[in-house]
Amino acid sequence: MRFENRAPEETVNYADEHPLKEFALLVVGVLGAVALGAALLGFFAGELAGRVPFATEREYAASLTERFEQAKLTPAQRDARDALRALAAKLAAAMPLPPDIAVSVHYADEPTVNAMATLGGNLVFYRGLLHKLESEEAVAMVLAHEIAHVRLRHPAAAMGRGVAVGLVLSAVSVGAGRSLGGDAVQRAAVLPLLKYSRDQERDADELALGALVRVYGHAGGATDAFTVLSQAAKGEAGRVAILQTHPLTGERIGLLQAAARQNGWPVDGMRTPLPPALRSAAAGK
Amino acid sequence: MSWVDYLDWIVFLTLLAVGYFAGRAAESRHFASIRKREKELAKVLAFATKYPPAAHLPQQVRLVSGSAVVGSDYFKQFVASLRTLIGGRMKSYESLLDRARREAILRMKEEARRHGYRLVVNVKIESSNITGGNRGGLPAVEAFAYGTALKPVAPAEPDRAV
Repeated sequence: MRFENRAPEETVNYADEHPLKEFALLVVGVLGAVALGAALLGFFAGELAGRVPFATEREYAASLTERFEQAKLTPAQRDARDALRALAAKLAAAMPLPPDIAVSVHYADEPTVNAMATLGGNLVFYRGLLHKLESEEAVAMVLAHEIAHVRLRHPAAAMGRGVAVGLVLSAVSVGAGRSLGGDAVQRAAVLPLLKYSRDQERDADELALGALVRVYGHAGGATDAFTVLSQAAKGEAGRVAILQTHPLTGERIGLLQAAARQNGWPVDGMRTPLPPALRSAAAGK
Repeated sequence: MSWVDYLDWIVFLTLLAVGYFAGRAAESRHFASIRKREKELAKVLAFATKYPPAAHLPQQVRLVSGSAVVGSDYFKQFVASLRTLIGGRMKSYESLLDRARREAILRMKEEARRHGYRLVVNVKIESSNITGGNRGGLPAVEAFAYGTALKPVAPAEPDRAV
């Protein structure tokens, strides 16, 4: 009898197909499903959280509010904060803010060129941004934008989404381990959250613009404010829009001007100089 | 500020591309080499049977073995880790194991040939994950082939013949 070892048959033990095919199928299929799932979960969680009564949110955020309130301020900084509060009250009335929702404006003596709205209607305005804004209208636009976030219950919705998606993701990563696929899943799940965040910014911009125009008669402050913010976030030219929490500034200014034109609001107008309290705080005195 | 923001994406996509191109080049080179050497070593026979052919008795025996470690690449690992989420054929690792097994058998046959053997019986293949299943560690697989090489006892020398 003659024996031989025949050459093994190829493609029995491994697939003779292009590796990019499986890659494409998995990326589109698995990561697409993750993104879709996160989008749905985020949507419902956000809707649900946005329906929690504002009083409950405020109670939940009580310690946060207290911390902001207890920040030590110099008399000049306190004056600036009070000026911001007066301006905020004017804008809130113009928005208008429903009676059950209230904002607490805080001033932070930090160089950050930004302002933020967080849970419990707390708004923080940083010295760094105030320092760069040259008119009351520009300050008002930033304030109105943050008040609009509160009015639209964005901080609550964002937290609801973040918690819901984060919980599911952590359960998934316990199962999948810290692997490359796990990282990819995290990235895919964050994309819809970023989309929601950009949508929130656009909605807040639009609502803020209406309040701004009702108080000052024109939309000029909006462009000023975003120009300053875009300079602070320099290098925006190279940014990928879908990976950002905020829409790119060019788009925001374009949308605001379009909204102003559509409503027949003057895009530009006379600027009001900053109230003295804000000017001296901004100058760091 | 701008491109640094995307450093993690840049690193990830670069590793993926390097893994893909380098891994694919290495794999096709390895397969070509395996096929060539399988032809060269076709005369050394390897069988799983425990029972040597009767014609080979009496015989000389020798344990022969071959081991091969093949590393995965970033691309294969990425595809495989997505695959673990939904299950199914882990195609990206199948070729890796195929290469490791065939390489191990070739090295075993090479050892047998070096010592003048043309037949190996009772061949077994074992494989192990040499990274010890560390999470996040790059997988590398070892295949180990071993068997009993046989050759007929050399005819007695004429001057010592009885």
